[in-house]
Amino acid sequence: MKHLIAILAMAASPLAAQDFSEGSEARSWNLYAEVPAKFDAEVVDVLCTLTGDCPDDCGAGKRQLGLVRAADGVLVLPMKNSQPAFTGAAVELAPFCGQQVTVDGLMLDDPELGANNVYLLQTIQAAGADKIKANKWTKNWAKEHPEAKGKGPWFRRDPRIKEIIATEGYLGLGLEEDATFIAENF
Amino acid sequence: MRSLIIAALAALALPGAGHAAEGTRVQVTGEIIDTWCYYSGVMGSPDAVVGSAHHTCALWCSAGGIPVGLLAEDGTVYMVLKVEDDAQAAGGDTLLRLAAHTVEADGMLYERDGLNYLVVSDVVSDQDITNVNHNDYGNVPSFSIPDPNK
Repeated sequence: MKHLIAILAMAASPLAAQDFSEGSEARSWNLYAEVPAKFDAEVVDVLCTLTGDCPDDCGAGKRQLGLVRAADGVLVLPMKNSQPAFTGAAVELAPFCGQQVTVDGLMLDDPELGANNVYLLQTIQAAGADKIKANKWTKNWAKEHPEAKGKGPWFRRDPRIKEIIATEGYLGLGLEEDATFIAENF
Repeated sequence: MRSLIIAALAALALPGAGHAAEGTRVQVTGEIIDTWCYYSGVMGSPDAVVGSAHHTCALWCSAGGIPVGLLAEDGTVYMVLKVEDDAQAAGGDTLLRLAAHTVEADGMLYERDGLNYLVVSDVVSDQDITNVNHNDYGNVPSFSIPDPNK
């Protein structure tokens, strides 16, 4: 029985809460729940992993991609890339879908709010390759939207966003509600 | 003893990347939210980063490919992976159009590692924006509406 307990303790150790901050060079975003985390993982298509619906290209950056952590098998959901520009992580991870990578960034840890195993991705390193920054989203957007070229951040120029705001307003309640709010607050 | 050991080791087996999970059919009503601002606190409290106050930022984050969630009435957040035939949960048109709307969804729930993932098979109803909170919080963030005087 002692041997069994020892075996189970050894086997269970990866499942215990682990500290992945060792060796992390993640830059702080001064978020109240941020925890630096560097770990090895497989890049996966989350919908494929959960449901078995698996296109060959993992959705080409249009599906949410996840990181199955090598140390404990936990599925981490990257929510953000490293750009402070309202941009996600799927485009950054898409070239690595199905591959093993080392990532560095910030976990958000607030179980009371439901923030479990969610991540801000800052760098990606594939086996035998240089570490790269997870900051390609805006360049990718510019390539996809040459018609929206101009000054200002992408989210002021994005055709789909502009179309919705033009009809529903900034508050989403119609242009009349916008006009009243703007007149009272600006 | 042998069966005990086998059962114990089986229970400890790590979930692999390619194993499909068992889903549960659910019906959920709630608001389509921007999960990054909701979880990170970067723009303010959870109550401020939803509804009409946060509509424009929710559009930005949805179009930017940040995971979209469904915030249920009991406070549970469901990460939406697919809506009907549209699996483009990272910046796709369907979820963008639903930003800040309250919807009634029928679909499959997959729970893994502390997160709830939702595959919506049917948007039963789209109630548009019902959380009218801009009079309490203003527009969040404040630059989401360009200053007409500048």
